[in-house]
Amino acid sequence: MTSRSHNAVYNAPIPPMLISPSRWLRVTCLLLAALLLTSPVAGAADWTGPEEQLAGKIAAVTGPGAIAFDITNRSSLSKAEVDDIRRGLLLQFALLGLHVVNAEQAAATIQVSLSEDLRSYVWVAEIHQGTNQPVVEMTSMPRPETPQVARETAGLTLRKTPLWTQEARILDAAVVDTDPAHLIVLDPNQVSLYRLQDSRWQPEQSLPITHSRSWPRDPRGRLLLRHDHLFDAYLPGVFCRSSAAAPLTLNCYPSDDPWPLGSDQFNLSAFFTPARNFFTGALAPGLGKQTTAPAFYSAALLPREKYTLGLFVAVDGELHLLDGMTDRAAGKLGWGSDIAGVKSNCGSGWQVLATRSGEGPNDSVRAYEFPDREPVAVSQPVDFVGSITALWAEAAGNSAIAVSHNAETGRYEAYRLSITCGQ
Amino acid sequence: MRRIALVLLAASSLLPAVMASAATRPRYGGILRVALRAAPTTLDPADLYQSDSPTRSNLSRLMFDTLVTLDSRGRPQPSLATSWQAEPGNQRWHFYLRPNVSFHDGTALTSDAVAASLRAANPNWKVFPTGDAVVIESDAPDADLPAQLALARNGIAKRDGRLLGTGPFAIADWQPGKMLTLAARDDYWGGRSFVDSVVIEMGKSYRDQMISLDLGKVDLIEVASGQARQAAAENRRIESSAPLELMCLLFTRAPQSSEEGRLRQALALSIDRASLNSVLLQGSGEVSGGLLPDWLTGYGFLFPAEVNLPQARQLRADLHQASPWTLGYDSADPLEGLIAERIALNARDVGIVLQLTSSNSPDVRLVRVPLASLDSGVALKMIAQALGIPFPALAGNSVHDLYVAENGLLESQRVIPLLYVRVAVGIGPTVRNWSARPDGIWPVQDVWLGAERP
Repeated sequence: MTSRSHNAVYNAPIPPMLISPSRWLRVTCLLLAALLLTSPVAGAADWTGPEEQLAGKIAAVTGPGAIAFDITNRSSLSKAEVDDIRRGLLLQFALLGLHVVNAEQAAATIQVSLSEDLRSYVWVAEIHQGTNQPVVEMTSMPRPETPQVARETAGLTLRKTPLWTQEARILDAAVVDTDPAHLIVLDPNQVSLYRLQDSRWQPEQSLPITHSRSWPRDPRGRLLLRHDHLFDAYLPGVFCRSSAAAPLTLNCYPSDDPWPLGSDQFNLSAFFTPARNFFTGALAPGLGKQTTAPAFYSAALLPREKYTLGLFVAVDGELHLLDGMTDRAAGKLGWGSDIAGVKSNCGSGWQVLATRSGEGPNDSVRAYEFPDREPVAVSQPVDFVGSITALWAEAAGNSAIAVSHNAETGRYEAYRLSITCGQ
Repeated sequence: MRRIALVLLAASSLLPAVMASAATRPRYGGILRVALRAAPTTLDPADLYQSDSPTRSNLSRLMFDTLVTLDSRGRPQPSLATSWQAEPGNQRWHFYLRPNVSFHDGTALTSDAVAASLRAANPNWKVFPTGDAVVIESDAPDADLPAQLALARNGIAKRDGRLLGTGPFAIADWQPGKMLTLAARDDYWGGRSFVDSVVIEMGKSYRDQMISLDLGKVDLIEVASGQARQAAAENRRIESSAPLELMCLLFTRAPQSSEEGRLRQALALSIDRASLNSVLLQGSGEVSGGLLPDWLTGYGFLFPAEVNLPQARQLRADLHQASPWTLGYDSADPLEGLIAERIALNARDVGIVLQLTSSNSPDVRLVRVPLASLDSGVALKMIAQALGIPFPALAGNSVHDLYVAENGLLESQRVIPLLYVRVAVGIGPTVRNWSARPDGIWPVQDVWLGAERP
């Protein structure tokens, strides 16, 4: 890990009006390319091994000679893949002295079925010779998980940039804007660091998280970049602090310290219930004169001219608005449990990103403003495949990290969400 | 020595796949109310005298952890054991225990307790405690041992007067055969469950269960085979497993002559499985000519399951006069009665007489055998054991070896597979995050209760 001492202020406020468009584009493209290159998108598979195996087993039964051959697909393989396999088997047959002819001229008839079980492709050859009972030969090979479907962002205002995907649950992630860029991924067992190299996130270091108590069943965690050391990680009942320079170390210890809410510019923290998945409602030091809120899942802070408006999604699903003096219940707006405040310099300058149920098991995130304490949607929803398991404002405040659990692949995916003007 | 489980894998497995139901985080609290048809009189996972049904297996998993679990693709994952390794030959295995796990009474899980529990469940195994591990020796190479340890019957229990497990719920009240109340453990190693308790009423008929669900008195019920589609059409929330209950005809003894073998073959060819499935089971199953379902093996299609009346009649015509067979079934299950009647009609079409009986010693019996594991090798062994057919030694671990073993079981002509049936449950409107698994395991630990309908 390189030091952050030079141009390494993480995610410094980079409103689109101030940032060079080419740099924004470069970072976005690099992040997108990194994800695409590191995600397990299925490419053209090499079937040579199983083709050799199955053809060899068939040839061992029939011996060289004339065969009739047919192939049936009973699996999730595509037509193109089946055609590839057919050609591969024909090639192997030729190498083994088997000549494919029509059924009337054949000494043996080979029916190959491309099937699959829970874990593997299963290729079955039924070999018919004369009036004998058919001989069955098989070969199998591991079947990949359902390939991930790469999705482009659809929103015009709310941008969704893919960062990382992995099988283990992602609690939070952060991009360190060094040269080269680094990605930090927090999961319940470790903090992983990746370096952007050749448009790929290359693993650089993994730091295990030591903890004595078991995690709750809906584990949450927050990663915050720091100026005097690289990052802090907040987990249920555990606090971890990294060292400042490479090689990084991570010191984790039991802690009930409050978790920072919002981005760096707000000096507000809240106590997290270590064996559950929500904040107790106790605030430190408080919002104006208010030091408690209802127990809540998430919060967003919106600066006003003379005060800060705090939005809290309570565990009963109701949204509470705290302005430092009063606690007003805004009702159940149909939002999900996770919200985050983001600074955009668009519109009123600050928006709230809120999760919401989408079609079927899929969630979406949408940006809202609070011109008069009532939310007004200011962006189209950005859809996710699966449910959103984390949404945190990034330390610099101008973007948020969303993590979704992809219902199709079973993998967790981290995205950066940011708002751009006028698109 | 082959190290199988990775530490990282072990650690990550602690975390359940809690998929928040559409943007809403799980909420803690509430009582999950369950109604069951079964009425077990003991909760001991090692008690082999009670039906090894999916329901009983699900009950057991609430209280008793296993050393290993299987994921939805049948791959062994760490549970009470964080890693394991086999010595060359796969006859001697070491399972390393998770630290800081306690039984429901607060006593620590030890290798002594694990060894004692596994010995009680498997009298033929040699199990030794060694520090923070247990060693299991078998008489023959056993590559499937980790998957076997994932069976509910191998749940780890302490039996010193009280029955204690390490699972997510502790027994709060137990009225054998009637009512079971379970309380969530705050100190569960895998994280506290979202619901505070589970109350299970037993011995309830399917009809009574459905009425209770409709009245909002329970949150989770069993749905009878063949009723799932109708129940869903009536706007109930129904979740079905993959087809995982084998329905088959089991002959009491091996065929005594080649003629009897051919008669059994004729019977197998006479049965219209597709009609049984579409008419009597309302399409809730899949026809099967094999003992394992095709979705688990990928080769099930090799075992013919189509009706073939000409061939059946030809086989029957080639034989001398055959005496009638008696066909037994569970007379308490109306569906089984209908299926038995339909099979008798099919048989009559080819000249085979089946007389329905409720006696305990029929010539052939309609039986149901649950798929005990998503590991195909273990599943086949358990099916053979349930049917009382000797399991042939596997030549290896390949899919072809499994096929040869299954073919061998079928060639014994003791059993005629008919169908694989889905297991369905009805779920109340406030139950959230119910993610159905192919093996029908209830995700109770991840379920939470919403205050209102979604």
